Amino acid sequence: MRIVLLGFGTVGQALARMLREQRETLAARLGTPPRLVAVTDSRGSAIDPHGLNEAALLAAKAEGRGLASLPGIGGSASSLRVVLSTPADVVVETTPSNLAMPRPALDHLLGAMRTGKHVVSVNKAPLAVAMPALLEAARHNRIGLAYSGTVGAATPFLHAAGRLAVGDRIVKVRAILNGTTNFILHRMFETDEPFNAALAEAVRLGYAETDPSNDIDGIDTAMKLVIMANHAARSSGRPAGVAYRDVRVGGIRGLAIQRVREAKAAGKAIKLIATIDEAGVRVGPEEVDVTSPLNTPRNVNACTFSMAQAGEVTLVGRGAGGAETATAIVRDIIEVTTGARVS
Amino acid sequence: MRIIMKFGGTSVADADRIRHVVSIIKAERARHQVVPVVSALDGVTEMLLDVADAAAKGDELAVETLLTQIRDKHLACAYALGAHDQVRPLIERLETLVHGVLALEELTPRSTDAIVAFGERLSCAMVAHTLGGVAMDGREAGIVTDDHFTEADPLMDLSMFQVREALTPLLDGNKPMVVTGFVAANQHGVTSTLGRGGSDYTATILGAALKADEIWIYSDVDGLMSADPRIVSAACLLSHLTFAEAVEMGKFGAKSMHPRALEPAAAHRVPVRMRSTFKPDHPGTLISESSGPAGPGGAGSVVRSVPMLKNLVMLTIGGASMVGRPGSAAEIFGALATQRVNVHMICQSVSEAGISLVINQNQADKARAALDGALRSRHLERTVELVGGVCVVAAVGAGMKGTPGVAAKIFSAIANAKVNVIAIAQGSSELSISIVVRAEDGPKAVAAIHDAFALSA
Ligand SMILES: NC(=O)c1ccc[n+]([C@@H]2O[C@H](COP(=O)([O-])OP(=O)(O)OC[C@H]3O[C@@H](n4cnc5c(N)ncnc54)[C@H](OP(=O)(O)O)[C@@H]3O)[C@@H](O)[C@H]2O)c1
Repeated sequence: MRIVLLGFGTVGQALARMLREQRETLAARLGTPPRLVAVTDSRGSAIDPHGLNEAALLAAKAEGRGLASLPGIGGSASSLRVVLSTPADVVVETTPSNLAMPRPALDHLLGAMRTGKHVVSVNKAPLAVAMPALLEAARHNRIGLAYSGTVGAATPFLHAAGRLAVGDRIVKVRAILNGTTNFILHRMFETDEPFNAALAEAVRLGYAETDPSNDIDGIDTAMKLVIMANHAARSSGRPAGVAYRDVRVGGIRGLAIQRVREAKAAGKAIKLIATIDEAGVRVGPEEVDVTSPLNTPRNVNACTFSMAQAGEVTLVGRGAGGAETATAIVRDIIEVTTGARVS
Repeated sequence: MRIIMKFGGTSVADADRIRHVVSIIKAERARHQVVPVVSALDGVTEMLLDVADAAAKGDELAVETLLTQIRDKHLACAYALGAHDQVRPLIERLETLVHGVLALEELTPRSTDAIVAFGERLSCAMVAHTLGGVAMDGREAGIVTDDHFTEADPLMDLSMFQVREALTPLLDGNKPMVVTGFVAANQHGVTSTLGRGGSDYTATILGAALKADEIWIYSDVDGLMSADPRIVSAACLLSHLTFAEAVEMGKFGAKSMHPRALEPAAAHRVPVRMRSTFKPDHPGTLISESSGPAGPGGAGSVVRSVPMLKNLVMLTIGGASMVGRPGSAAEIFGALATQRVNVHMICQSVSEAGISLVINQNQADKARAALDGALRSRHLERTVELVGGVCVVAAVGAGMKGTPGVAAKIFSAIANAKVNVIAIAQGSSELSISIVVRAEDGPKAVAAIHDAFALSA
C-alpha cells in the first residue's frame, strides 16, 4: 500500500508514528504493508518509491529541519507535483484547513483523483467549499474519497450521521464540534475567568493556536457542519446541497463573563452550538441545560441527532489530537482501498 | 442585474457585426454585470470540420484551400478591427495542428476538438480585443468535461464550482471578459467541445453557476414565433414560454435552443431570453418557469406554437415475426444508434405489426443499411419500407396537458384543410402532438392548426 502524505505537522507526524509502530497490525488489516512513498511539508518533500523511513522524517522535523533537507530523498518538489507524479494507491491530505484559500488543497485532491489515486482528507476547507464537486470527481474517476477525520477526529460523528440518515430521518442536529472553544467556555464556567484569560490558558496548554480566529469566530465549526450536512444528505440519497455561504456563522469572541454567570445561575451553560434543522444551518453561542449531554467538559465534542422515529442519539468524544486524527485516517485508508468507494 | 450574453455565429459574422455586438455589450455593461459568450464566425465551424476531414484523408490541395479561406476570413476581419496581433498566432497554431493531422492522415475525436475549438478562440480574441477585454476559453472559465471528445459532458458540480471561483472575482473588475462558447477541457486540461447545444450550453452553465438574473441568447431573429413566419405570415412572437415548452419546441427544430442547453437554466431556474442583435431593445422571448400573460400564444393558449420539421423520411419496419416478440424495438434502435441516426419521431400501431420512424432524409441510406444488416443477421423476416418527402408538424403547449379535445380539434382542422395524415404521435409529457404529413402538405397543416388555436397576432 503506497501512501503519499501531504503535510507533516501534528497529524501527519502522528500518522507516521502509527505506521511505524503498528506496521504488522496495519499490514494485516490492509492486506499489504503500508509504505509512505512521499511526504511533503511547506518547504518541500521527501520521496522514496521503496518506502521512506518514518524515524528519519520525524527526526528531521524534531530538529526543525524541512523534509527537503533530507539527504538523498529530500527535494523541493511541491505537494501538487508530488501528487501528480508519484505512483501511489492513496493520497492523504493533512495540510492546514484554510477556508479563505482552499485551492492548493483542493488541487491536491482533484489531482490525486484524476491520476487514479484514492483520497483521504482531514483537511476541512476543500470539503467545506466544494463537496459536491469532489464527490463528482470521485465518481467520475471511480476513486474512493473519505474524510471521516474532518469532523470529530476519531469520534465517528460522520459515520453516525450517515448511518442514522439511512434508517430514519434526522430532523435536527445540535453539536459541539470545536474543542478549543469548548475548553474556553468550560473554563469560564468553572473558574469564572473572563474570556481573554480563558483563551490565554487554552493557548498556553496548546489547545488553541496563536491565531485562534478560526476557532473562536465559529469558522472551524461551520466548516465541519457543512461537511456533516452534506454527508448526511448523501447517505440518504439526496443531493449534497449545503454550501458554506448558507451557514449563519457566529462565534464566542469577547463573550462577556456576565452571560456565563447568568446562565449558570439559571442552571445552564453557554456552548458554541452547531445546528441543522428546518430553519437552516447555523453556528453560534447558545445555552444548554447543565444536565444535557451537550454540556461536555474541557475540549470534549458531542453531537445530538434528533430522529423522526428513534428519538435522540448522542455521541460524545474527543474531536481533535494527532493520534485521534491519525486513527481516523487509518480507518479511511482501509475504507477507500478495500472497495467501499466514495464514503 | 447579472446577465450572460451569448452571441451566435451570425451575430459575429464579420467586422461590422462584431463592432455592433461590442456596442451592445458596452451598453449593457454600463448598467449590468455581464459575461459575454461567443460562437465562431458564421460558417467557420463547418470549415474547420472540413479541413480536419480533408487532412485526415491526406487531401493536401483541399487542406491548403480551406486553410487559406479560414486565414483570409479571419485576417480580413482582424485587420478591420486592429486585432491581427491576437489572431495571427492563433491561425498559426491552427495551421500547425492541421498539418500534423495531414502528416499522420489520422484524425481522432480529440484532435477534431483541438481543431474545431479554434473557431471560438478566434472570434473570442477579436471580440475581446474590440471590447478592450480579456479573452477566456471555456477551460479558463472553469468548465471541465468528461473525455467524450466532440460530444463532451460537463462534470456539472465541478464546473459550477470552478466557474464561480474563476469568474466571480472578475464580474466587478474594470476589464470585461469574453468567454468562448462550445469549448471546454477535460480534467487533464485537454481541449474538448460540448457538441449538441454548443455555445448556448456554455452560456447556461455559466448562468446557472453565477446565479445570473437572465441568460440572453442573441441571434438574427426577434425571438421564438408561434410558427415559421414564411409559412404563416400572421405568426406572432411568443413573449413568454415555459422551459418545458421550449424544450419541446427545440426537439422540433424550431429556432429554439437545444434541449440539452436548456437543462442547466431550468434546473437552476435562471430565465433565458432569446433576442435579436438587430433589435437590441426588443424584449424577445423569455423562457422561464412562468407561461407569462394571456393573449394570442400567451398563457391560456392550449397550443402555443406549431413548429415544422422538413426534409424527412419515414421508415416502417414491418413483418409478422415482430408481433408479440419482446425486444423488437430495442433491436431496431440499437442498430440505428450505432450509426448515429437521429430519430425524430416513433409511432407504433396497436397491432404491433410495424414500427414507423421519422428520420432526416440525409440519413435515410445509412439507416436503411443499418436496419437491413441487423435484421438479416438475425434471420428475421421483416420488411423495411421507406416513404420519402414527408415532414412533421407539431402542436406544442403546456396547456394541452389535461385539456380534453385538443387532438380532435387538431385533426378536424387538418381534415378541413384536406391534408392527409400519415402518422401521429403524442409525447408522453403531453406537451405536444406531432403528425407526419406529405412535405407539400406541411405548410397547409401548420396554417390550419395555427388558425384553429387562434394564434395569429
Ligand atoms: N490537529 C488536529 O487535531 C486535527 C483534527 C482534525 C483535522 N485536522 C486537520 O488536519 C490538518 C493538519 O492539522 P495539523 O494539526 O497537523 O496542522 P499543523 O501541525 O499546522 O501541520 C500542517 C502541516 O502542513 C504543512 N503545510 C503547510 N502548507 C503546506 C503546503 N502548501 N504543502 C505541503 N505542506 C504544507 C506544514 O508544513 P511545515 O511543517 O513546513 O510547517 C505542516 O507540516 C488541518 O487541515 C487540520 O484542520 C487537525
